[in-house]
Amino acid sequence: MDESFDLESLVHVEQTFYDSGYQDGYDHGRIHGLIEGRALGREKGYEMWEELGFYEGFASTWKSFLLQHGTGDDERSINNSNRLLELIAQFPRINPSSTDKSSDLDISQLLSRIRSRYKVLCSSLGVRPTLRASLSDQAADNEEMADSDGGRGKESGPRVWPVLSQLDPSVTNQDLSY
Amino acid sequence: MDDSPWDDDPNYSGVQETEWSKISNEFTNAGYREGITAGKESALQEGFDKGFAEIGAPLGHEVGGARGMAAALVGILSTRVNNPSNTSNEREVARSLLDQLNSVRFSDIAPRDLQAEEHAREHNIEIEEKRKMEELEDMMGGLGRSGGRAERPTREQVVGLAKQVEELAREVINK
Repeated sequence: MDESFDLESLVHVEQTFYDSGYQDGYDHGRIHGLIEGRALGREKGYEMWEELGFYEGFASTWKSFLLQHGTGDDERSINNSNRLLELIAQFPRINPSSTDKSSDLDISQLLSRIRSRYKVLCSSLGVRPTLRASLSDQAADNEEMADSDGGRGKESGPRVWPVLSQLDPSVTNQDLSY
Repeated sequence: MDDSPWDDDPNYSGVQETEWSKISNEFTNAGYREGITAGKESALQEGFDKGFAEIGAPLGHEVGGARGMAAALVGILSTRVNNPSNTSNEREVARSLLDQLNSVRFSDIAPRDLQAEEHAREHNIEIEEKRKMEELEDMMGGLGRSGGRAERPTREQVVGLAKQVEELAREVINK
């Protein structure tokens, strides 16, 4: 009986070594994944909300001014401000994939509605949309392309900002040292 | 089983040990390689969501809000002049605040990622050396411009700018 037990454990010993290596590697990989994901998420969150915050600050400041000093002609601008602020209020501050798997919020569509509402507001106010906002239109186009790419993986649940699509394959293993 | 060929070999136990640790290393390393990739992929999205919600979005919202307010003030003071003497001065102030906020980058005000730094230390990555290289690069970059290191706004300065914008907004709106 003793002998057969030894044999049994010999058969599994390779698997045992593999498994213990795998577990150590997995734990280490998680640390790298968290660090790298966090770095990307910070950048992306800042980029998106800096732009949205800009529209929000712009619209609410104009609105407050017009409510105090505006004339009857400014009614349209106040309405445009309100619409813009409503759209921004719908925009998620966290990545919806992490909380609501059934969320069918179309982020890129909402973002482009916000951008065009901002331009409508600017033209009703008679001011020019700022350079930085129009520059980010290019980024918006790129995003839309990336989004339609990501659409193929729909079964895994909608991810509004799928982190993996942000990663250049060449970057993924860059500082993965072990 | 009693007549195993190596039972008679007095040197065998040594050979066996080397062989043993070779097998052990081989399989452990193979497991490690697969594990680290799987572990990393399992955590990327979680890290991303955290960085997005806890740092990126609130910080961007704050800076963008101040910048939008400054842009609105420049517009108001340029197109809705009702008190010319005061307005041109206020417009210059608003313009300068807007310019400064326009130049803010996330890297200027991002908080340090202490876990990342700690983990890098565990890897014995030469942080010191990396930092020195960056300093050198900054110096080289600076040479082309005014000779000194490029001045970047700090987190405190950006908070100060946002406060100034709010004060100016209050004056302009409640005038």
